[in-house]
Amino acid sequence: MTSTAREEILARINEALGRRGGGDYVSSTARTPASAGSAGAAGSAGAADESGSAASASQASATAADVGYRHEGTHTGEELVDLLIDRLVDYKANVHRATGDPAETIAQLIEAHDSVVVPHGLETSWLSGFDGEVRVDAPGEELTVDELDAQGAVVTASAVAIAQTGTIVLDGSQVCGRRAVTLVPDHHVCIVRVADIVDIVPEGISRLDARDPLTFISGPSATSDIELSRVEGVHGPRTLDVVILNE
Amino acid sequence: MTFLGMPLLPPKRRQQTDLPGGQGNIIEPESFPDVSHQHLSNQQLRNNIGHATSTIREKRADVVAELDDWEALREAGARTKNEVMANLPEYLTQFEEAFSAAGGIVHWARDADEANAIVTDLVADNAPVLENGRREVIKVKSMATQEIGLNEHLETAGIDAFETDLAELIVQLGEDKPSHILVPAIHRNRDEIRDIFMDKMPDAGQLTNEPAVLAEAARRHLRHKFLTTKVAISGANFGIAETGSLGVVESEGNGRMCLTLPETLITVMGIEKLLPRFADLEVFLQLLPRSSTGERMNPYTSFWTGRAEGDGPQNVHLVLLDNGRTRALADEHGRTALNCIRCSACMNVCPVYERTGGHAYGSTYPGPIGAILSPLLTGVEEQGNGSLPYASSLCGACYDVCPVKINIPEILVHLRGEDVQANHSPVSSQLDAALTGASWMMSDGKRMTATEKGLPLAHAVTRGEQINALPGIAGAWTSSRDIPALPNKSFRQLWAEEEGEK
Repeated sequence: MTSTAREEILARINEALGRRGGGDYVSSTARTPASAGSAGAAGSAGAADESGSAASASQASATAADVGYRHEGTHTGEELVDLLIDRLVDYKANVHRATGDPAETIAQLIEAHDSVVVPHGLETSWLSGFDGEVRVDAPGEELTVDELDAQGAVVTASAVAIAQTGTIVLDGSQVCGRRAVTLVPDHHVCIVRVADIVDIVPEGISRLDARDPLTFISGPSATSDIELSRVEGVHGPRTLDVVILNE
Repeated sequence: MTFLGMPLLPPKRRQQTDLPGGQGNIIEPESFPDVSHQHLSNQQLRNNIGHATSTIREKRADVVAELDDWEALREAGARTKNEVMANLPEYLTQFEEAFSAAGGIVHWARDADEANAIVTDLVADNAPVLENGRREVIKVKSMATQEIGLNEHLETAGIDAFETDLAELIVQLGEDKPSHILVPAIHRNRDEIRDIFMDKMPDAGQLTNEPAVLAEAARRHLRHKFLTTKVAISGANFGIAETGSLGVVESEGNGRMCLTLPETLITVMGIEKLLPRFADLEVFLQLLPRSSTGERMNPYTSFWTGRAEGDGPQNVHLVLLDNGRTRALADEHGRTALNCIRCSACMNVCPVYERTGGHAYGSTYPGPIGAILSPLLTGVEEQGNGSLPYASSLCGACYDVCPVKINIPEILVHLRGEDVQANHSPVSSQLDAALTGASWMMSDGKRMTATEKGLPLAHAVTRGEQINALPGIAGAWTSSRDIPALPNKSFRQLWAEEEGEK
């Protein structure tokens, strides 16, 4: 049944676009970019076949609609770090700074907990100042959801941080952890290396791979659903501590 | 009836399409003026919506002003979505290929019924029957599933769907309907929400009306469901054709819970939600949060590509939904409505929405975008949907804030033309008769001159005073407006006299 639905929907789209009879649709409202133009030519009348697949992955780096928006920010050095801190604090994350070894800073942040979880790739020395139990989530030795729920905190690194929006991105790597690991515990301590800080969103996106499970985090869990006023602390971790690390 | 913006010249012959319209919760049952009158007298509703929309308007304006390249971003957003629509079959098949290669399973649904049936079968296959004899799923807010009436359908199939977004939870517990696409419970204030929670959450206890306390109550209420439910249902804000990735933009973490913890994830997405490339997110992740919640970035955004080994749901499905979208695409003057990224900025600035509230639009999609999208999805012939394009003063505020530059006022006027052609011809009302008469009179200079000869008489009859009340249907105009005193001579007469003297 679904394959018929597929053919029918694709045929409807071709009809809607005026491709009936083999004519190519030309957008009346926008320039047709080169990649899309070739894709359009590949789509003949009737259902499109797979060989007509649009812009290939090789064009991944360029967007079709580059009309002069910013691709790079203007902040560098300490100014860039200050911007990130300002934006993180604005959205109610707690920010700390460490140089060299962050173990002492991390230990202070999690000292109230009996047990914390870390992804298996995290530097073990980073937890050396902590007296409680450290559970390591590793392939084949994943903590169950209930076990994660029993952890006081999770400590991870991060893939990239976008200063302008106060956004930290986790990419499921062995230092960022599985998605559940940074979700279920109520307290997230996240280490951001200064080298991983970029200024604006396009710089952040260009450092990521879409095929990784990605989580963009901007402040702790929040809602604006009651009279559109922002309230922090709903289902995700209610406390977000960010440690900015100068190595 | 509305008078302003009624097209005076007959539109070009109506473009006919035989593509089927959508079904489900996208239909205004009666005409918009009739429905909105039921809501206009609700002062509490108007206060709540007025307060909320003015708050969000200010927040949006502040964060948009922070970006000096905002207009370029809007232009990029519009062009990218136009590119998607112009090449939709190719991008859909490319997406399907990439999502499938990553271990996901793609289903196609022609309409609401087909989508509901697909999801029901998937839930029946993957969610266990509980002690109460029913199955359960958790849901993250989704316009597409609201549109197809999925929850109601699942209920008849013995499946309880739990909404996990705070506002959706308020709506569901209050046995209410959403009235805004971003903040479905925008029509409720904090006192009403406290009352609903204390009434409907068995474990809520005593609550105050503080938003933080209410959010905490929702957290406790849903926590166990998140950690134990086997099947989740979501929508998607973006599908990336190049990589087969899906994305959900949210705030509370309920999205992350639904997308991460269950074993099975079923996503329902309209076919128009695609972006060509992952890199296009550099534009859309700036446009959407700033236009939507007025934040530089929303707290959480998740992307997944099929199945990620050892991380998150291992049984991953996507239902691609048409339900009238191809019909909308066939309308070359209306198709840019499909570019909508569901930010809700247009409803927050709309003077009509602010006074009538979202329920007056009958559809899942209220406000200015709903006034064009609903009739485009169903056709203007469908029940009251032909009346929706008149729910506007054509002030253009919606166009100014739209992050993908949908020219809503232009499409509203186009659809009014469609409505006149489909539902009001030949002559079906006093208004049509008056407009037909005016058209006949004004289309010929001699007839116009003859009519103007009556001016001195009309001036005398009205004693040169302004007109405060007219009979018949014209009374609708004068009920809220005065017509200035009639002049003794027309402009054309004065002009002829002036010119004649030279």
